Amino acid sequence: MSWDWSYAVQILPGLLWGVWVTDVVTAGCAAIALVGGLGIAVVASIGGRVSRICVRATIELFRGVPILVLLYFGFYALPQIGVTLPPLTIGVLVLGVVYAAYCSEVYRGALITIPSGIRDACVALGLPTRVVWLKVLLPLAIQKSMPALINYVLVLYRQSAYLFAIGVPVLLTQAQVAGYQSFRYLEPYTIAGLLYLLLNLPFVYLLHRYRLAHADANA
Amino acid sequence: MLTPMHSGRDVSASPLVQSGENESDGAPMPGVDADRSPTPAVQFTGVSKSFGSNQVLVDLDLAVMPGEKVTLIGPSGSGKTTVLRLAMTLEKPTSGDIKLFGESIINDDQGLPLSSRDEARIRRRCGMVFQQFNLFPHMTVLDNLVLAPRTVLKLDKEASEELAMEHLRLVGLSQKASAYPGQLSGGQQQRIAIARALALRPEILLLDEITSSLDPELAGEVLDVIRNIAHVMNITLLIVTHEMRFAREVSDRIAMFDGGRIVEQGSPEKIFGSPQSERTKTFLQSVLNH
Repeated sequence: MSWDWSYAVQILPGLLWGVWVTDVVTAGCAAIALVGGLGIAVVASIGGRVSRICVRATIELFRGVPILVLLYFGFYALPQIGVTLPPLTIGVLVLGVVYAAYCSEVYRGALITIPSGIRDACVALGLPTRVVWLKVLLPLAIQKSMPALINYVLVLYRQSAYLFAIGVPVLLTQAQVAGYQSFRYLEPYTIAGLLYLLLNLPFVYLLHRYRLAHADANA
Repeated sequence: MLTPMHSGRDVSASPLVQSGENESDGAPMPGVDADRSPTPAVQFTGVSKSFGSNQVLVDLDLAVMPGEKVTLIGPSGSGKTTVLRLAMTLEKPTSGDIKLFGESIINDDQGLPLSSRDEARIRRRCGMVFQQFNLFPHMTVLDNLVLAPRTVLKLDKEASEELAMEHLRLVGLSQKASAYPGQLSGGQQQRIAIARALALRPEILLLDEITSSLDPELAGEVLDVIRNIAHVMNITLLIVTHEMRFAREVSDRIAMFDGGRIVEQGSPEKIFGSPQSERTKTFLQSVLNH
């Protein structure tokens, strides 16, 4: 079997549609993960013992159960108790929430490493709690977390391939569909692999740039 | 130029500011004639503080009068910094009471724990500068100075920027308004921190080893700023420092701490010229020969 260029060109539009869906899924998941993770971290650090335990339990749940199990639960089990959601929604929610759990740990770590003197200065200046969080602690925590967060978005981009399992037309799904139809798998999977790699590069570049800028700021 | 009480300050919130004369609530301080003397700016009464099993302050009594410049000296771990942190409400005493201008920052009139709102109101009369500067690294110098006047004094953008610039000029750094803290030398950062604390018009300024993390030549520029402030502003200063020459120059009174207690206090002339306590003598010998 040799490489068939005309077949490759023929399946390209379907694969490109897969790229678009992958982008949308990644953006949706990233939004949930980045904002949700921040919310979880803030609740965990200002809440009392009960809220900390709840947050801990939720984080361990979403980090401990395999993503495929969660996806199948949403796709097959939820409809049986009367909750039917479109596959795209299930996929974005599952990946978004799982990565919110991961991101919350990043934010939490960043919040812990803010020097206690910064908080002392906030008290000495009499800043209200809301201002301390919005103007001082969160901007500092986000700045510190940025490289790890960009890295998670990069991982999310690749993890979106899991959504193939519940039929969301991400890039992998589109490659699989093209393969089924013509029983030729060489071209679809090769192109899909290359596209995944290619589309990762902007994130890698972004991460690199950020690290450089960060190194400057710390110098 | 600076005028000590200025429109930005919420004077109505602090009726004791103008009183000067006896406003104490029926409980005259030991050793002070309540009918004649003004209310102390800072007053510690029987204050003890422990961290776990480590007792850092033992039954401390200390009163600092308005406008007075008091320096706490003594070996590391003798409780000096804790005194400042307690006055700034960064720590709570294990027992005893602390008053700022006659108002307790621990309990209300009924002896119940003070509400956070009242605590914030009273604490506002006090500012603090730290050993590690503690500037907000993600904000420009100007934003560092503007944040509290905008959110605490509720000044508008223009007024708070004007206030900020006025204080940057006071510490000689108005040209650095748009710089970030990381771009400045340690001495410059500390001068910015002083300006940031002063922009809130505190009546009491707590200085916690503000030159300890600076090279000697940078320490000089920071101390010059404090000398200037001590000279032009009628502000109460409570200072912790290891710079004995500076302490001698700027203080009205020096208190020697050891083991969480004041072992001796008096005028700089007395403490440096004819110390009574053996601890003071040994301590001064060790730092002056250093």
